[in-house]
Amino acid sequence: MAALSQYFAGVDIGSTMTKVVIMNEAMMNSVIGPTGPEHRKLANRVMEEALAKAKLVFEDITYVVATGYGRINVPFADKQITEISCHARGVAHLLPEVRTVIDIGGQDSKGIKLKEGRVVDFVMNDKCAAGTGRFLEVTAEELGVSLEDMGRLSLEAENRVEISSTCTVFAAQEVVAKLSEGVALPDILAGLHEAIATRIYGMVRRLKIEREVALTGGGAKNIGLVKALEAKLGFPVLVPPEPLLTGAIGAALLGRDMVREAAEKGGTLVRSKRRLTEATLFT
Amino acid sequence: MVYVVGIDIGSAFSKAVVMAENRIIAYQVLPSGGNYKLTAERVTEKTLAKAKLSLKDIAYTVAIGYGAANVSFSSETASDISCLARGVHYLFPGVRTAIDIGGQFTRVLKLDERGKATAFLLSEKCAAGSGRFLQVIARVLQVALEDIGELSLKSKNRVDFNTGCAVFAESEAVSRVAEGAAKEDILAGLHRTLAAKIQTMVARLGLEPDCAVVGGGAKDIGLVKSIEEGLGCRLLVPEEPQIVAALGAALVAEEKVSKGG
Repeated sequence: MAALSQYFAGVDIGSTMTKVVIMNEAMMNSVIGPTGPEHRKLANRVMEEALAKAKLVFEDITYVVATGYGRINVPFADKQITEISCHARGVAHLLPEVRTVIDIGGQDSKGIKLKEGRVVDFVMNDKCAAGTGRFLEVTAEELGVSLEDMGRLSLEAENRVEISSTCTVFAAQEVVAKLSEGVALPDILAGLHEAIATRIYGMVRRLKIEREVALTGGGAKNIGLVKALEAKLGFPVLVPPEPLLTGAIGAALLGRDMVREAAEKGGTLVRSKRRLTEATLFT
Repeated sequence: MVYVVGIDIGSAFSKAVVMAENRIIAYQVLPSGGNYKLTAERVTEKTLAKAKLSLKDIAYTVAIGYGAANVSFSSETASDISCLARGVHYLFPGVRTAIDIGGQFTRVLKLDERGKATAFLLSEKCAAGSGRFLQVIARVLQVALEDIGELSLKSKNRVDFNTGCAVFAESEAVSRVAEGAAKEDILAGLHRTLAAKIQTMVARLGLEPDCAVVGGGAKDIGLVKSIEEGLGCRLLVPEEPQIVAALGAALVAEEKVSKGG
């Protein structure tokens, strides 16, 4: 097999960001770009960018696997695979010692239990914004803090406040009231990180958490959240070099696995009639 | 005449009622804003001004609601549920099930023939289960809160929400507007989602007629009709549904005064 000439792409279309990975045996290129607020219109652009970066054309890609929240109508993918499987594959590849994955996305959060690289159990919340990245996004906006800065700022807290509301809408109202009462911003931010960590930990704990634990998704880029979760767990977590990419890497690897498996059986994998055009959320 | 005041400082709105001899003399509703203490004073002053009274004419004041502790001039605070039940019973003695749709909670109560609450359920502290949901979506659609009920009745093609979370529903409403969905159809979908949550609560407690709906949410005709459809029964709505609990608090104050001689 001319394995080196085969390129595989993984496309992870999240609620806010689209992540594309293109790889072969020798290299890996990735691009992270916005999904597009309404129609996932920008997902194909991210793919185009990734191809340009890898100096490839779309036809050079042997197999494209799409995953993520917006994976359903992706005309440029050969196959759709669930986020759970892709995240698991990605983490197993990057951090083989991991048994529990906590993924905190913009619109959902999940816990995945792994055994020898395979998914044995998972939990997920996509029903309620509390406990997802959206909770921090909404409250950051109310407080006039950027999402990038809020984690670091929360670590400066001297006297963490208790956030009594679970609901994101009510918590946003509560933090604005606290700020107007004169509570220091870092103390409020620490309260918010504690609140979301409690919520996520409460969900993932149902899996019987085993070490090592990896944190992925946009939430893993927030140092305040990482620290708050480590405090709940009682031990440090592992964070991949680019925590946004594990799903896309897993998707590309699963595509490669499938092509190899087909080749081992002496056949080739049937590809879909893919076109590099806009993805849509609704049919 | 002996005058009393019932005051209800809710998370979204504050209400005051002046009563004398079992009759409503005046009432006022104001947005609660951020300063409950100040709002409590203002809503009481305005109500008293309507009745041409001042605070020294008031024999007894009972405060209830989310911000009750901020009412510095109250004689006592009371239970929201029992005041709500009293207010409903005063207006509609035949009511056995009452739904109160507030800014933070929805409450469902069972009442006995004497107006005592025998059982109640509280929605979780979730914006999608309360009147707050209406505010969130009204803001996205740029429709005034008081207009959403009438507007939703014009819907011909209801757009249902895929989510039960107010934050996610907000994004969904934005997407639907971008796709060209009519505001009235989105509002009809919003009413269906909230009504479904309320119906579940009523079903858990058991629907016993007559049934009344009170609180700010009861001012939304679209929501009331959606709950009526879901429950399959007519709902009684007071002329001023927001003041029912404050009215109950005033009734408690009257009772205190009469017992005290």
